[in-house]
Amino acid sequence: MWKFLLPFAAFVALVVLFAFGLSPKRDIHELPSPLIGKPAPEFALTDVTDPTRIVSNATLKGQVYVLNVWATWCVACREEQEDLLSIARQKVVPIIGLDYRDQRDKAIQWLQQLGNPYSAVAFDGDGRTAIEWGVYGAPETYLVDTHGTVIYKFISPVTQEVWEKEFLPRIAAARKAGA
Amino acid sequence: MGEGILAAYRRRAKGRRVNQHWRGFCTALALAVASLGALAQPAPQPAPQSGPPAAARAIDANGQLENPVLQGRFEQITKELRCLVCQNESIADSNVDLAQDLRRQVREMLVAGKSDDAIFQFMTDRYGEFVRFAPPLSAKTLLIWGAPFVMLLIGGAVIFRVVRQRSRMPLDE
Repeated sequence: MWKFLLPFAAFVALVVLFAFGLSPKRDIHELPSPLIGKPAPEFALTDVTDPTRIVSNATLKGQVYVLNVWATWCVACREEQEDLLSIARQKVVPIIGLDYRDQRDKAIQWLQQLGNPYSAVAFDGDGRTAIEWGVYGAPETYLVDTHGTVIYKFISPVTQEVWEKEFLPRIAAARKAGA
Repeated sequence: MGEGILAAYRRRAKGRRVNQHWRGFCTALALAVASLGALAQPAPQPAPQSGPPAAARAIDANGQLENPVLQGRFEQITKELRCLVCQNESIADSNVDLAQDLRRQVREMLVAGKSDDAIFQFMTDRYGEFVRFAPPLSAKTLLIWGAPFVMLLIGGAVIFRVVRQRSRMPLDE
């Protein structure tokens, strides 16, 4: 009996493991962020459109906000831009841009051509702030609550659907908890 | 099919001492344990003063650190950190932007006098345990570190059973 049952159980276990591990829906590049539940790293960088102005997330304390990491070299960001614009029009939360390892003139041109969904864009030309946030690609989008705690990270372009499914409920919950 | 192989095996084993199976099994197990032990040992640290020749040292375009001790540590640490863009490469091997940024970070922290542990902690805090190729043993990583030994135990038990069963088989047909 065991002679048959044990290998069979092992086989079933392998099938289950592979069904999860090799699922085409699973993105191996999606890594859990250790930043979730931790204070958002502070930054004070120059505004991408105006190097004399400082963009800092310290001024956003007490508000729920979104930090969107993008760059002009990032193809998926171009795709994301349209959705971000329509999300920004809903005026739910301020969307702060972090222009990651980019060139200023290219970034300005991009914003003029495609439109600007951001309430402010911080220019992280050398990627130092990105390291603090654990950024390893673009686009990446973080959600920060009223206490300045990172509560969610989304990797790959934010679409309308993702926004409604993942972001809006968390924003509502964060506001309720913060009020 | 299994019958045929077994029969042939038994024929070949004819005349040999049954004990040999057992001894062979023990030797194999001992070898396996020994090789595992060797694997589990940390990579030998290069002697700081007598590192590899300069050509092999120039990992990136920034050149090498003036202090050979720091340069040795720099190489060791960057080999230990995973490039998260190309996942199976270390930041020492990879040339993507992120790896360059992280190498710069390691370099600066070394020059600032930070310890290896502090640098690894810095990276783990931002990128998670996954950034390390050999995460430290903890409750969370117990499965990764323990799995080989569990597999060895299971394999050993299976071999033990098979060998014992075979040793009990009559040698004459």
